[in-house]
Amino acid sequence: MTRKQKRLSVIVGGLAFLGAATGLTFYALGQKASYFYMPADLTTASLQPGQRIRLGGLVEKGTVVRGQGATVAFSVTDTHKSVKVTYTGILPDLFREEQGVITEGAFGTDGVFIADSVLAKHDERYMPKEVADGLKAKGVWQESKSE
Amino acid sequence: MLFWVIAAILTLGASLAVLLPLTGGGKGTSTSNDHDLEVYRDQLAELDRDAARGLIQPAEAEEARAEIARRILRLGDVGQANTGQADAPGMRQPSRAARLVATGAVLLVPLLSWGLYSQLGSPDLPSQPLAERLAKNPADSSVDELVARAEAHLAANPSDGRGWDVLAPIYLRLQRFSDAVTAYRNAIRLDGDTAARQAGLGEAIANAAGGIVSADAQSAFEQALKLDPANPKASFYLAMALAQEGRLAESTAAWQKMLDLLPQDSPWRGAVQQALAEAANRSVASGEPAKGPDAAAVDAASSMAPQDRQAMIDTMVAGLDEKLRQNPRDTEGWMRLIRSYVVLGKADQARDALHRGIAVFGADSDEAKKFTAFAASLGLTATE
Amino acid sequence: MVETGHFALVLAFALSLVQTLVPLYGARTGNQRLMAVGGPVTVTGFALTALSFAALGGAYATSDFSVASVWENSHSLQPLIYKITGTWGNHEGSMLLWVLILTFFGALVAVFGSNLPATLRANVLAVQGAIGATFFLFILATSNPFIRLNPAPIEGRDLNPVLQDLGLAIHPPLLYLGYVGFSICFSFSVAALIEGRIDASWARWVRPWTLVAWMFLTGGIAMGSYWAYYELGWGGFWFWDPVENASFMPWLAGTALLHSAIVMEKRSALKIWTLLLAILTFSLSLLGTFLVRSGVLTSVHAFATDPTRGIFILCILTLFIGGSLALFALRASQLTAGGLFHPISREGALVLNNLFLTTATATVLVGTLYPLAVEALSAGKISVGAPFFNLTFGPLMVPLLVVVPFGPLLAWKRGDLYAVAQRLMAAFAAALLAMLVTGLFVNGASVFAALGVGLAFWLVCGALTDLAVKSGFGNVSPAIMLRRFAGLPRSVFGTTLAHLGLGLTTLGIVGTLCFGTEKILSMHAGESVELSGHTLRFEGLYPAQGPNYSEQRGRFSLIGADGGVSAEITSAKRFFPVRQTTTTESGIETIGFSQLYLSLGDEGTDGSVVVRLWWKPLVTLIWGGGLVMMAGAAMSLLDRRLRVGAPSRRRKRATAMPSAGVP
Repeated sequence: MTRKQKRLSVIVGGLAFLGAATGLTFYALGQKASYFYMPADLTTASLQPGQRIRLGGLVEKGTVVRGQGATVAFSVTDTHKSVKVTYTGILPDLFREEQGVITEGAFGTDGVFIADSVLAKHDERYMPKEVADGLKAKGVWQESKSE
Repeated sequence: MLFWVIAAILTLGASLAVLLPLTGGGKGTSTSNDHDLEVYRDQLAELDRDAARGLIQPAEAEEARAEIARRILRLGDVGQANTGQADAPGMRQPSRAARLVATGAVLLVPLLSWGLYSQLGSPDLPSQPLAERLAKNPADSSVDELVARAEAHLAANPSDGRGWDVLAPIYLRLQRFSDAVTAYRNAIRLDGDTAARQAGLGEAIANAAGGIVSADAQSAFEQALKLDPANPKASFYLAMALAQEGRLAESTAAWQKMLDLLPQDSPWRGAVQQALAEAANRSVASGEPAKGPDAAAVDAASSMAPQDRQAMIDTMVAGLDEKLRQNPRDTEGWMRLIRSYVVLGKADQARDALHRGIAVFGADSDEAKKFTAFAASLGLTATE
Repeated sequence: MVETGHFALVLAFALSLVQTLVPLYGARTGNQRLMAVGGPVTVTGFALTALSFAALGGAYATSDFSVASVWENSHSLQPLIYKITGTWGNHEGSMLLWVLILTFFGALVAVFGSNLPATLRANVLAVQGAIGATFFLFILATSNPFIRLNPAPIEGRDLNPVLQDLGLAIHPPLLYLGYVGFSICFSFSVAALIEGRIDASWARWVRPWTLVAWMFLTGGIAMGSYWAYYELGWGGFWFWDPVENASFMPWLAGTALLHSAIVMEKRSALKIWTLLLAILTFSLSLLGTFLVRSGVLTSVHAFATDPTRGIFILCILTLFIGGSLALFALRASQLTAGGLFHPISREGALVLNNLFLTTATATVLVGTLYPLAVEALSAGKISVGAPFFNLTFGPLMVPLLVVVPFGPLLAWKRGDLYAVAQRLMAAFAAALLAMLVTGLFVNGASVFAALGVGLAFWLVCGALTDLAVKSGFGNVSPAIMLRRFAGLPRSVFGTTLAHLGLGLTTLGIVGTLCFGTEKILSMHAGESVELSGHTLRFEGLYPAQGPNYSEQRGRFSLIGADGGVSAEITSAKRFFPVRQTTTTESGIETIGFSQLYLSLGDEGTDGSVVVRLWWKPLVTLIWGGGLVMMAGAAMSLLDRRLRVGAPSRRRKRATAMPSAGVP
């Protein structure tokens, strides 16, 4: 092989590698990305049985039932519709009724969503309105005191 | 003042950092080519070491040496072409533009920093480390700071029921409702039930829930009425609970009955009248169930002007003081009075109360020792 | 003091503008005095930023709630250590730490850069100043940590409980040292583009800076991974969370840069590529900052979702990435390429490394940004998680790991693959043996697990082979070998350690993923459970009180072979009343390199408690490998080779031109 041919083969090899990597990436995106739905979106979505999705919404009040062992059942709602979810494992610390939650898993045959991971939404600056108002009141109050 | 001095010094220092290099003489500098040459020379030396260790084959090493040498030669060409202009005017005769840039830079530092800081900063506000705020004379402290001090005391002595009792209504006024719930519960647990505590607990629970008189709050109010059937707060909130459930007729009746029983100067009259007026409005609008808390009425009842509140607290303490003058052999009473004065920031009066208490029981009595120790725990000493 | 800090910050901003404009203009016009301004201004700017940071730290340490940031992120009952670490446990403080590190590195260039050509030094400081100026502006405009409250509240709102941990004390500063360290490489690259020439000393400088940044970034990522592992209570060490990816991408690109910089430094080849890579690496660092700080991605790290901040950082991002790439497009043709080499050579191996690493970076980038793109096109919300990365990143990494041991053994310019393969026979045999032992004698080992263990051993033994070959093992007498070993350049040890660390990390990952076991069950006090040969007895729940939290401690006893209690493990649910938040403290018992990990779940009505247990074989090697890699980088930094580049007076006088060996 001449020098030129060698260089060409190196370049062709590199390009083939990049092509393969690109192909793999897009194949994986098509196969492995899971779509995110809110309960109300599910009526319009056409899901294959067993297809993995992410289901997000609020934990409906009064629906959390701790069953046998480590299995927990609850409903996820977006205030329009709600979906029953079961999960076996330890719920995140931030999991609370009427708080945001994202579950990942697939629907079982009985229409119950079987989650294998539950993420509670993490919000660093969660600030209840009462606290804000209370503080404002405090400030006002102190101002009048200094008069 | 100190701040402005520091700011001026900092500005001066920063400006000098710009100014000094501009006025200093240009140091003898080496050109890029000298640096490059040094690096190439080092590459050659390294090549020799690599070749000696067999990291590169002799033939390739020779080739690499030639490459480096070519670079060095090229360097020489460029260097000669460049040196002519590099040393030129810039060095000794700064152009007008350069002088302009230099002046601008020197001026930019103080102008921009002081201008921007005057917009953003709060130069009059001193640092306020918490420990310092809590350590200063109680008389200068804000109520918040007094509360913090009381909290620190209670954190150390959590079974001090009276402490909780004093703190609970203050929490309520500060709108720290859940703290108020805890404080009332502790006071009740440690010092027993009273109508005022139960009613306060109910109010705290209701406010913590955004004004909704929940079942918990109701049972507290009912307990208060059991202890003192004339407790206005409990009656008022129980009527409010009825209104919130939509039982307007019953709530109106309850409030009406309250109004008849309340003395003319009661602070609750205004609140009840307002609640009645709103209930009347709502039944006119009718059909719609009462929803949520009646915020205005709650506010009317619970928010007094701060002066009034202060006056009320002062009156209460003065009342206790008077009672002890008449009935001085009350150990608990004296301690409560001392604490009240400390919490109110009236150190002199607290000291006075301490002396009077000691005088009642005699300086050598157990009580006197107890008082001294207690006062010390509050940070109060018998003498200045 | 607080206001002094605020004023110092404003002053540092003013100086950063001077630092940008004056040396840049000086370098363009060849004005020595203007260029000389860069050094002192940079150092003063750093001192002022440090003063500012110290003032903020002081406010945190003394619970000065008149500072809004302290009020929002601190509490008087917090232990002092968390009061101090809380300084950077929030958006405002962490951005101040970011610029502090930026100005620190700038000051290092100013102080130690006297051996750089004057124009290069001036331009580098100017670019560094420009980055600083935009971030100072960002802080002052959108995230000022010195905003005051009057009257001051008496109590703060507490630091986010998951951040009240020693991991927080170390993780962000290390990570930022890494991220921001790459800013120096970026500044050098842009300075070279501004001048239109790459000085030879440029290459000498970029490599140590890459090493420094890479070392800290490695530490930061390892620390962050360990922190997430024990603090979040999920038992995982890597989640392919967008924010983790945000730190991983600069690491991958930085690793590529580290290797291409070797070629550039030693052979003056791959100059333009290295320059581009330096720009890309810092761009990815900026992108990481943007992803974390803007709140466009939801994650544990998203401090605040303030859209103005996001837009501001996006502007910074566009300015620097767009600007530098445009400059690159404009000037790259002027730069001269360097030495030639054969495909099978050390250079070739390093190019192969770069090819794999940059491609891997690209897949991670695609996986991280794809959900954003899909959402922006309003085609629904998707998430790209571990399955995607396992399918793309894995196949890219495995071949790279297979060829790693070959690289350091190949000769420069033209290597002999066959000879190298022969030298690696011993390592290959060891790997094969490990593979067979795993496959045949370890219960439940899959083919993948056996291959994974083999790969890890291949890396470790390959790294050691390099050291053995270079000290002449088998060819010379032991005494000479020892002397040669001692005489090896430190960078050789650096390479060996880094590759060894990589092997250890691989071993840890394979061990944990392939041989780890887990159980979730509900336990009553007194019950026992068995997991991978370890028996644990649940002793019950005990309440306890911390400084600013109350906790329910679950006590577990590890039962030894003799039936006695060999260790006690405690996992706890902590409740922080100020934030009304609960956190889980996992219980970990380290046995050799492996760990028994347990975390408490909810209490049942019948007094039972949900417990999740993991047996994680060799898990500590994942982070231990990271530490070894850091040690490798530190070792390379000590190499004398990296200290030259200055025309020393003595040598200058001696000769004008080198004579030896030049044809």
